[in-house]
Amino acid sequence: MTDPRKYLKSTLFVGLLLSLFLPVAAQNFKDTLRLPVFEVKSGFISDNQGFKKERLDSSILIHHIDADLSKILIQNSTIFIKSYGNGTLSTPSFRGTTAQHTQVEWNGINLNSPMLGQIDLSQIPVSQFDEIEILYGAAGISRTSGAFGGVINMATNPNWDQRLKATFAQTIGSFNTYTTNLNFIAGNPSFQSQTKANYSSSLNDFTYFNDYLGTNVKQQNSSYSSAGITQELFWKIKDKHLISGHIWYNFNNNNLPPTTTEYDQNHIEKQKDEALRAVLEYKFVDRKFNVMIRSCLVDQYMNYQLDSNLNTTHRYYSWINRIRCSFNGIRNLTIKPGLDFTRDWVNSDSYDGVKTRNTTSFYAEISHNFKNTIKTSLIVREDLINEKFLPIIPALGLEYAPFKKINWNLTFNLARNYRYPTLNDQFWILSGNPDLKPETNYTIEIGSNYHRLSANGKFFIEANISGYYMWIYDMITWLPVEGSNLWKPENIDEVLARGLEIGLNLKLEVMGFYLAMTNNYAFCKSTYEKANSEYDKKIGKQLIYVPMHNLNSTLSLERWKFFLSYNFCFVSDRFTGKDNLSIMPAYCLSNILFGKNISMKDFLLSLQIEINNVFNLDYQSIANRPMAGLNYAFTLKFSYSTPRKR
Amino acid sequence: MRKLFAYTLFLLSLILCFPSCSKQSIRETSVDSDPSDTSLLPTTYQHGIFVINEGNFNWGNASVTFIDYSANKTVQKIYQKANARNLGDVAESMKIFGALGYIVVNNSNRIEIVDFKSFKSLKTITGLHSPRHIEFVDSNKAYVTSLQRGISILDLHSNEITGTIAVHGWTENLVRFNHYMFVAAIGEFNKTSSRRKAQILVIDTRTDQIIDSIPTGKEPIGLAIDNKEKIWALCSGGYDYFEIPSIIKINPELRKVEEVFKFPTTQRVPSRLSINTLGDTLYFLNGGIFQMPIHSKGVPAFPLVNPNGRLFYGLTIHPVTGNIFVSDALDYVQNGVVYQYSPSGTLISQYTVGRIPGSFCFTPDDLH
Repeated sequence: MTDPRKYLKSTLFVGLLLSLFLPVAAQNFKDTLRLPVFEVKSGFISDNQGFKKERLDSSILIHHIDADLSKILIQNSTIFIKSYGNGTLSTPSFRGTTAQHTQVEWNGINLNSPMLGQIDLSQIPVSQFDEIEILYGAAGISRTSGAFGGVINMATNPNWDQRLKATFAQTIGSFNTYTTNLNFIAGNPSFQSQTKANYSSSLNDFTYFNDYLGTNVKQQNSSYSSAGITQELFWKIKDKHLISGHIWYNFNNNNLPPTTTEYDQNHIEKQKDEALRAVLEYKFVDRKFNVMIRSCLVDQYMNYQLDSNLNTTHRYYSWINRIRCSFNGIRNLTIKPGLDFTRDWVNSDSYDGVKTRNTTSFYAEISHNFKNTIKTSLIVREDLINEKFLPIIPALGLEYAPFKKINWNLTFNLARNYRYPTLNDQFWILSGNPDLKPETNYTIEIGSNYHRLSANGKFFIEANISGYYMWIYDMITWLPVEGSNLWKPENIDEVLARGLEIGLNLKLEVMGFYLAMTNNYAFCKSTYEKANSEYDKKIGKQLIYVPMHNLNSTLSLERWKFFLSYNFCFVSDRFTGKDNLSIMPAYCLSNILFGKNISMKDFLLSLQIEINNVFNLDYQSIANRPMAGLNYAFTLKFSYSTPRKR
Repeated sequence: MRKLFAYTLFLLSLILCFPSCSKQSIRETSVDSDPSDTSLLPTTYQHGIFVINEGNFNWGNASVTFIDYSANKTVQKIYQKANARNLGDVAESMKIFGALGYIVVNNSNRIEIVDFKSFKSLKTITGLHSPRHIEFVDSNKAYVTSLQRGISILDLHSNEITGTIAVHGWTENLVRFNHYMFVAAIGEFNKTSSRRKAQILVIDTRTDQIIDSIPTGKEPIGLAIDNKEKIWALCSGGYDYFEIPSIIKINPELRKVEEVFKFPTTQRVPSRLSINTLGDTLYFLNGGIFQMPIHSKGVPAFPLVNPNGRLFYGLTIHPVTGNIFVSDALDYVQNGVVYQYSPSGTLISQYTVGRIPGSFCFTPDDLH
């Protein structure tokens, strides 16, 4: 039996060695999808200096049209995804925080449930958007309060050159997994319509070794199906006005598989989710003044059923509004005031009646540049929850780029943040605690970025490194109540998270071959700093299910319209107890993608095969929750597009 | 030169991308809290106490810890060590009958039968629905209570379920009195206390029929028989703080409640009624450990042992020494602790055990 720590060390060593020699990061060298984006956007992608943001390479999404968001993040980011298995609950953990400290957005609309404060990433099909943007730590303050870990935003970008494009994609995978995608884009330089539909179903009955039975069995009660449709309309008037409307309906029907020890129980456990999101947005863009007004309605339904014991329904509506302005041109000063207003209604079997919450946020961002080498931004946010003001949320960012010809900078940011309790924390019947205080977060971060494109445009390198140190006070934790089977949330924990993130991207064109490599590594030590009692053994111990090391790496190659990519992920030990005495050992996974594009006139046929868990590793990410071994997915994609107008 | 550099980078990347990955199965492992010479630990469990660690609901991490208190040693996860597999999800209780240990694994819907000395699995009884507790009627059969599906009758020769006594709702502890089994019935599992009918059912063990029922306060979760052949029940008042908790005294011959001792408030939910071997003193948890002589005129106001920040969860009294064994489950997401106190409340020893230690089972050797 190999000592997992020993093996971890050697892998780490290689990783660190590499990071010494290699530069890496996240821009597109040969990016088939990167299209000219309507300028309006740039005014609002909060370009707050000194904060860490990244965009995932859009080619990742093109090649994973059948995937859900959790899979993309597992393979391409250092956000740790706690996954109960394919198509089953997957939640993100950023920089040693919890899923509730990560906000997931769609075109800037918060998708986190106001009840639970988090979202299941397995229910977000990536075919419904074009781009993933990740904001780390305090960068999230520009979007919301409480996202101590960060923000994941999925965006749709209209392509104003597009006349007509129709795509059909069919994926057939192991375990009777079928995914169908249909996209239809039509329009002219001032009007664009995008329609996207997806349907996916899987028996997901993979074979695994069941330790309790001592034999290989097929996973039970794990089938799922999902369907979604998105309709988006964009209307541009004279390059000054952009009106857009988006509607996204999504449906999920999941059976929930048992733990390995409950294999023979034939439980009926299932969950049904339905979500409808509708957004209307107006943007006005001028040289010195921009404005954006957005209003969104969300209707989310969830039903959970366990045998005949439990059958509960939760439903919520959110009305989410945002106004942002931007004034620039006052010398080197940009001022961006804003106002957010959200109203949530929750009707849950687990609450005593309908509960509502109003959240109003006053927002201002001031950016100032000194001599083009130092850029600063100050963000101030003030949240009003119902009639109660949270303490002010400030964030300060600095960016220092001393050289004109070398793309190198140093960044620094500092912030205080608060997270208000979720509605479950406050109103869950018998357990909810209306006296909870908001969680408090202090964070400091330094970083550095470098990128360079060679003169002949054939070699690109990007490297970034950042380190952070953050405290969370009054963290809300659910604790058992003595003598009762109830649990109650309390402001009990204190957490100290510190870590290091290294990214290194390389792109190279040589003899007609395109080579690309992306590497991400994160080190995170996130520990409990306060004990509940003198008998509590968690002080200084790592948070449960937060790996200390997380590494992923993708190597891709393209030539003669063939493409091949190899993805590798390493996740270090995760603790399953707060005393750190029980461990899920580290593992590495490898995935291969291979395919060919065939183009004939205006048609493009793309064939690809994906081999997941290439080495057929028998692993669990969460204790007693089996994961699939070696599996395949074959995708055929057929698209037609009218040529671009020159 | 630049090309060379680039090639070198890609070569290096290959090293990264193809590391020799472990083929070993990735499963939860544990670090023993007492790593010193594990070879000296006992591998047969003849003289001591088994601590049944429930484990977290739906985590599949139930376990049994053995405490050899004369040698002051603990052995963790003894079922897993003997059988190379997990015990299951939420181990509720264990009883020994002859050479066999019966471990009731609630959310796995099973009873695991082990040779208690080696803890080797002998048989798994399935066909149960959320089983809670087992009580032996005689050498032929036992009753098993459940959350929702009545009381199962277990044949001790074949170790199979041979029948069910229909009860609507949740049945909990059982005590035998002559030919009768007294069973705590809480009411419908899914309902709030206001809609539950709490009673103690009386079953004639010769016919397996319910012959009588005694209405009680909400959640009569603990039962005990004293030396005067009275049955005591602890009514918690409801998990939802529905009513004032009480301790009631029942005359099992007349099947009537003789006395009711009320607690002062609804602010706490008392639990885990136990009695000493002499049968003259009751113990229960209500924040701290409380001691109540059976001739007492009321519920004691002050605990024998103060919790001092601990969350006491399980309680039992040693059948010979009368020492108190109490467990602290801490925050339920780390290993718990078992404390041994003398009957007068002096701490004798403490042991680290498994996740959420809820109940105990003494070895038969220890009973003499």
